[in-house]
Amino acid sequence: MAAVIEVEGLAKRYGSTVAVEDVSFQVAAGEIFGILGPNGAGKTTTVECVQGLRERDGGRIQVLGLDPREHAATLRRRIGCQLQESALPDRIKVWEALDLFSSVTPGGADWRTLLGQWDLAAKAKASFASLSGGQRQRLFVALALVNEPEVVFLDELTQGLDPAARRVAWDSIRAIRERGATVVLVTHYMDEAEELCDRLAIVDRGRVVALGTPREIVTRTARAIRVRFSTDHPDVAWLGDVAHVRKVERRGATVEVEGTGPVLPLVAAALVGRGIVPWDLRAEQPSLEDAYLDLTGRTTQGAG
Amino acid sequence: MRTLAKLTWVELKLFGREPFALIFTFAFPVMILVVLSGSFEPDDLAFEGERPADYYLASYVGVVIAAVGLVTVPVHVAAYRERGILRRFRASAVPAASVVGAQVIVGLLTAALGSVALVVAGKLIFDAALPESVGPVIVAFLVSTLAFLAIGFLLGSVARNARAAQAGGMILFFPLWLLSGAGPPPAVMSDGMRRLSAVLPLTYATRALQDSWLGSTSSSTDLLLLAGILVVAGALSIRALRSA
Repeated sequence: MAAVIEVEGLAKRYGSTVAVEDVSFQVAAGEIFGILGPNGAGKTTTVECVQGLRERDGGRIQVLGLDPREHAATLRRRIGCQLQESALPDRIKVWEALDLFSSVTPGGADWRTLLGQWDLAAKAKASFASLSGGQRQRLFVALALVNEPEVVFLDELTQGLDPAARRVAWDSIRAIRERGATVVLVTHYMDEAEELCDRLAIVDRGRVVALGTPREIVTRTARAIRVRFSTDHPDVAWLGDVAHVRKVERRGATVEVEGTGPVLPLVAAALVGRGIVPWDLRAEQPSLEDAYLDLTGRTTQGAG
Repeated sequence: MRTLAKLTWVELKLFGREPFALIFTFAFPVMILVVLSGSFEPDDLAFEGERPADYYLASYVGVVIAAVGLVTVPVHVAAYRERGILRRFRASAVPAASVVGAQVIVGLLTAALGSVALVVAGKLIFDAALPESVGPVIVAFLVSTLAFLAIGFLLGSVARNARAAQAGGMILFFPLWLLSGAGPPPAVMSDGMRRLSAVLPLTYATRALQDSWLGSTSSSTDLLLLAGILVVAGALSIRALRSA
């Protein structure tokens, strides 16, 4: 599929602070692409340069075939942005905001339909200040979609939402893609990235430290998979000869096997072959969070 | 154009929902006009031959203009900047010219409405004089309002946040209100007060309005000074907002 966003060697400094040192990635049409990273890693700056809201210091950016530096106005009519740290006037009403923003791109979506789709119909006459966090986020998404954009940028969309509201937001993000738009999702929630993103870039200290599907990134970072079961069978040391097994440890009745790749089915088959059929055989897969913590060099408390 | 029209209408409604702005633009000038005009004898010599109500009616149009430019606009602009409302507009391709244009139109309209309220009150209560020719008054009104809108934009674009903009606007508004012809008439001011008054921008506006209202035309010096303020403050605030 054709790339709708191409970023190559992006660099951005604020005074002497380097916000983005060297970021490159491509986003294909119809993807949900995640940009992940710790606070201050340069995620938002990257996205703002791509949106044409900030001037870049170096590198090349193409969005829908346009350079955001030269064609910012044209481009912004074809993309939708839900921004971090933005607001509307306190006393503006929900319908007024949608009506106003829809006037920018004549022939866009009917904002009355969006009002229903984003569950804001009952709040149409409410002022912005009276909305809850979740309602504000839904309004921002509706505003980002009012021009029927080809690419939608969502920056920390689910920050501050309760778990139920986050699930609703996730469904909404999938719905945006179903409509045919490409989605760029900036987040620092691992579960969100794992759940939603087709591909993602992990950014740390202004550089891309990993790029690929969530599974690829986890596999490449290749932490061990731990398989655990309990048995009163005295001798299990032979498990060390099973392919993909690296280490076998026994603590009382519990056996822990460390390995890689398809270690779980191989261990299971070997056990069954010897007539050992544990009831509690389970594997601990390394998660995107493990990979992320390894890649960004952050330690997790209580890990082990 | 469609966006400018919609945004102007929304901004006008927002103004109507802001009690603070409404009080300073519509209630405060009328109240003080009534109190001051009623406090002096009609033949008080301090007004150099004018009746107090006539003198104050023209100068309180200047106070309305100062209230719009120094009290409502700076807070509004600073809040838009501080809270990311301008970013929100920019990201959604709302043209910057529409954002500024809507503020200017709303500023002109609210100042005009506030002035009409003054004229109605002055006419009904004191049978104050109305201008003989309206043209020069409109010129003085437009130039003064645009100059004070530019000052308000500048204040709003350099203040650290909305609270600072409000404080700054108030600190400018009160001395200007009292020393620029809407407080004690110049004849009863001390030398120091008169010297200070002579360099305050609202003095140029008040004088331009009074001259055209009570005489025939404003002095071109006052109009040029106001136009100069408009150009300089306007250019500085555009520069400050661009880099924000």
